[in-house]
Amino acid sequence: MVEDQSRLADLRVGISLLWRVALRYRGVAAMSIVGALIWMAMVILVPYLVGSVIDLVVGRAEMSDIWPVLGLMVIAGAIQAVGISLRRYYGFKMSYRAEADLRNNIFTHIQRLAFSFHDVTSTGELMARASSDLSQLRLILAMAPITSANLVMFVVVAIVLIIIDPVLGLTASLMVPALLFTSARFASKVVGFSFDLQQRLSELSHVVEETVSGIEVVKSYGQEAQQQARLDDKAETIYDAAMGMAKQRAIYRPFFEIIPALGTVAVLALGGVRVVDGAITFGEFVSFTQYLAVMVLPLLITGWFFANLPRSAAAASRIDALLETAPDIREPEHPVRLKPGHGEVVFDDVSFAYPDGTTVLHNVDLRIPGGSSVGLVGATGSGKSTIAHLIPRFYDVTSGSITLDGVDVRDLALDDLRSEVSVVFQESYLFSASIEENIRVGDPMASDKRIRSAARLAKAHEFICGFDDGYATVVGERGSTLSGGQRQRVSLARGVVRDPRVLILDDATSSVDAIVEAEIQEALRQVMAGRTTVIIAHRTSTLALVDNVAFIEDGHVVAFGPHHELLEEVPRYAAVLATGAEVDA
Amino acid sequence: MKYMGSAGDYRVDRPGRLVTRAARLAPDLKWQFIGAIAVASVATLVRLVGPLIIRGGIDDGITEGDKRTIIVAAAIYVGLLVVQYFASAAAQWSVAIVGERYLVRLRSVVFGRLLRLDMGFYSRSKSGVLVSRMTSDIESLQEFASDGAVLALTNLLTVVGVAFALVLVDWQMAFTVFAVVFVLAGVTVLFQRQARRAYDQVREQIGSVLATLQEGITGVRVVQAFTQEDAQASTFGRVNERYFEANMAAARAISWYFPVVAFLRIIALAAALGIGASRVLNGTMTIGTLVAFLLYLDWFFQPIINLSNVYNLLQSALAAIAKLFELMDEKVVVDDKQGAFDLSEPVSGSVALETVSFSYEPNTMVLDAVSVIVGAGERVAIVGETGSGKSTIAKLIMRFYDPESGVVAIDGNDLRDITERSRTGALALIPQDGFLFAGTLRDNIAYADPGAPDEAVWNVLRAMGIDHWVRSLPEGLDTEVRERGGRFSAGERQLVALARAFLSDPSIIVLDEATSNLDPETEIQVEGALRVLLAGRTSVVIAHRLRSAERADRVIMVDGGRIIAEGTHSELVESSPRYKELVEVWQRGAK
Repeated sequence: MVEDQSRLADLRVGISLLWRVALRYRGVAAMSIVGALIWMAMVILVPYLVGSVIDLVVGRAEMSDIWPVLGLMVIAGAIQAVGISLRRYYGFKMSYRAEADLRNNIFTHIQRLAFSFHDVTSTGELMARASSDLSQLRLILAMAPITSANLVMFVVVAIVLIIIDPVLGLTASLMVPALLFTSARFASKVVGFSFDLQQRLSELSHVVEETVSGIEVVKSYGQEAQQQARLDDKAETIYDAAMGMAKQRAIYRPFFEIIPALGTVAVLALGGVRVVDGAITFGEFVSFTQYLAVMVLPLLITGWFFANLPRSAAAASRIDALLETAPDIREPEHPVRLKPGHGEVVFDDVSFAYPDGTTVLHNVDLRIPGGSSVGLVGATGSGKSTIAHLIPRFYDVTSGSITLDGVDVRDLALDDLRSEVSVVFQESYLFSASIEENIRVGDPMASDKRIRSAARLAKAHEFICGFDDGYATVVGERGSTLSGGQRQRVSLARGVVRDPRVLILDDATSSVDAIVEAEIQEALRQVMAGRTTVIIAHRTSTLALVDNVAFIEDGHVVAFGPHHELLEEVPRYAAVLATGAEVDA
Repeated sequence: MKYMGSAGDYRVDRPGRLVTRAARLAPDLKWQFIGAIAVASVATLVRLVGPLIIRGGIDDGITEGDKRTIIVAAAIYVGLLVVQYFASAAAQWSVAIVGERYLVRLRSVVFGRLLRLDMGFYSRSKSGVLVSRMTSDIESLQEFASDGAVLALTNLLTVVGVAFALVLVDWQMAFTVFAVVFVLAGVTVLFQRQARRAYDQVREQIGSVLATLQEGITGVRVVQAFTQEDAQASTFGRVNERYFEANMAAARAISWYFPVVAFLRIIALAAALGIGASRVLNGTMTIGTLVAFLLYLDWFFQPIINLSNVYNLLQSALAAIAKLFELMDEKVVVDDKQGAFDLSEPVSGSVALETVSFSYEPNTMVLDAVSVIVGAGERVAIVGETGSGKSTIAKLIMRFYDPESGVVAIDGNDLRDITERSRTGALALIPQDGFLFAGTLRDNIAYADPGAPDEAVWNVLRAMGIDHWVRSLPEGLDTEVRERGGRFSAGERQLVALARAFLSDPSIIVLDEATSNLDPETEIQVEGALRVLLAGRTSVVIAHRLRSAERADRVIMVDGGRIIAEGTHSELVESSPRYKELVEVWQRGAK
């Protein structure tokens, strides 16, 4: 019951979006509908002309009387062609334009939605909105003009048939609901099965993916047969789903030929008798058979349209919901200019809770003097990453405030704030572009000279120059042509190219081994010099570089001071570091 | 994702050969296939009789004013339609059975070949391409098998049947219609050429749209951190617009082709009517024949359009099958040779590399006459920089590759002389990242012995001291490991990998140590489990940490494909400056 209601609500929202979109492109849509109506008029005219020719023949007319009708038919054919062309071209144009514009809107919107949204939304889900959901919506938009013309046509043809002969006309018109219903029923059944089939195909592809990526393990244990059995199993379930679909096809498809044929039989029997009785002419009888023939395809398409409408409406309502989601982080209405300073960051009584209510930080007070560096140390889940992420406003504090050189970060224009607060993430995400373009993400206006000096600062210049293409080297998908340490240094260069007041290193060295960390160590020392730096780290070698350490437990800053002091004075601190550093066996 | 296959670098220039080879994969389906064609032919034939009955009804009934004949004709037609329904349904069904059965076979055979191929093949190939062979390529065959084949068959039969019927009814009118169809064929060829170019563009552009989209989503945090939202949006806008343009190019092709087809249909109709009318008027044709002819004409054009669509499906199916055969023609280099034997039990577990040289690509020697002997029960750590060749040594011991020269041996037997079954029973590899298969924890631990009873699994867990961890999971051994992406941490995955190796009870363990830091508690568990696993077995550890080297019986330092130092940890600290340097780096990182 509830599900039905929500489905109904989906349908309403979806159709309203579809309607708004159609209105936005009304010029193009109107052209398509005009084309469809022209086409429709000719489709109705031609069988009538055929009937006229037959009547002339039966009436023993001269060929000279027949030629003009045939000429008229050819002209009607030409006009019909123009109608089809307009209908199709503008129908496509409207639907593709709407699809492209909506996809742009979705992309732009996704870019603006804050971290809190992306934390709980999978990439696949967003991809589906901007690809499969959109295509579903587009299909319906593309079919809308022809469907509206079709609907008009069914009514007009039914009226024409009934005018010619009420009994025969009504009987023949029965084909309209019969085919519409069968086609819609078939389409909705097939939609269900094809969804099922897609599901199983993707399960099979998971087996293939895991076998390929785990091939070393498979071969190491000689378990090829086990993987083969898994795959054969999935292939068999695909067979079942595909045959389920084939069954529907076998049941319904023949009807698409049988129903029009039954209509023809009805015309033959009823119409034949009426001709013999002299109620209708023989030409009208032939017109009937022709009308039945031309209506088959439009009826099938219309049935398909209405079967797919709910799915498209659901897709449209999902898209609508995404576009209606407001970003959590908003630009201030009256941004304040950033004051000159050295990047002093102050947390004043800051608490933070995630939207689901889990409180992560409790009344944190923390002052990081401009130009100094602080290491954040704490166990997983202690809240140290959150502290780092609050400074550039990836999230907003629940209470309290954070200031940068005396200005609340929420009063600064986002661009001003984030160009002065740079973050180097744990996973050094690189775009599939050249190294230079990747560094330039940090500052699109940077000169080549600045790019290179940033790379020097991050100790990346040497290895970049070692590549054949130097700075133009394209890094693969997610930077896979570079080693972990190299990726990390490129993202470090990206972080410092704009010479920010504050640099945040978010656990940037946790996933590299000791040798690579040693490579990065020197780069870190250089970029930190004279710059406010917040660094999340486990390794004592890194902590030796910072001025102060903030030790965090359960969302509280429990100790603050130089590393060596904390080591001596705070036993818990020493204990946390010790477990991480050396596990005695 | 669908658009990752490599661009068609294989020309489908021998369709006949491809089809014959494809047919050889499933000789047992031959009779079913012939049966399906027979049923489909019956369905088409029955359908084609319809207009002839109408003709009879008109000429003998309506024209003669005989109502009874009209009703009889209608009744016969209805009876015929019942037959037609079941014949059509049977045709749909039987063609689907053949097609889908064939696909089950094909998937199995291709995957079987993929599994037999050696690691050399895997390292040469992009994994995305391999996956796409089994997914998008076979799926394009699926499209053909499940729908295309039926459509091709029934439409082809209809076109041929209607052509025959037209000629039978009146050959002069028939050839007039054929002339129009000839024009249609020419127009269709033109259209196909334009459409194929357009759709190639569409495919290419959708690929970049999806790639840009995905990058924009996965990289969104970086984008926002550097306020690059507008720049990203305008990049995406450009890519998206190119996709729109590609679609419109296809739309333009469609927007002239279908109107022309519709026009040609009217021309054919007018021509048939004109000729028919004059024939009826001069008495050489009955009016019923003319009507029957017009009915046939309606069935002639749509199947031709359908066939041109099916032709596209067939093209991509052939291209896909060509790529699959290419994969199946890959040579299996590492394979059991004739007369391979099992190691004699119990395997004591000594490993020897004798002057082994190896390279992945010509002219870049990765190992250069390396000799290593690991005694039974000994623990050896191999250290060296990235690219030094240390992990290649591990791979050669696993026989992921065969050496170019020299011998790799277990218990004195060349690996190439030992059966795969025996080799995999004696060896276990623990890769850097604990790899988990979809399934339960039990499936993953008992991977080497899927039938192992729970008791055996628990024994392993207890022995390794990690049974309490498994008990702490709400579903215990039944925990699905892949649910919601990475449910297990890197350390926990590592634990599973260790338990998996322990259960298989190998004599020799090859361990590629993880580089990333684990959280302290898991680290302790991993250390403990590892100690249990390695006890009493031969082990070769690719070491990334100081303590692994310290704990080994012997350390081998590799550089540039050669062994540059060998001895215990403390010996090497004394004797090898290079080793000492490495140890200092390690110490700075850890302490």
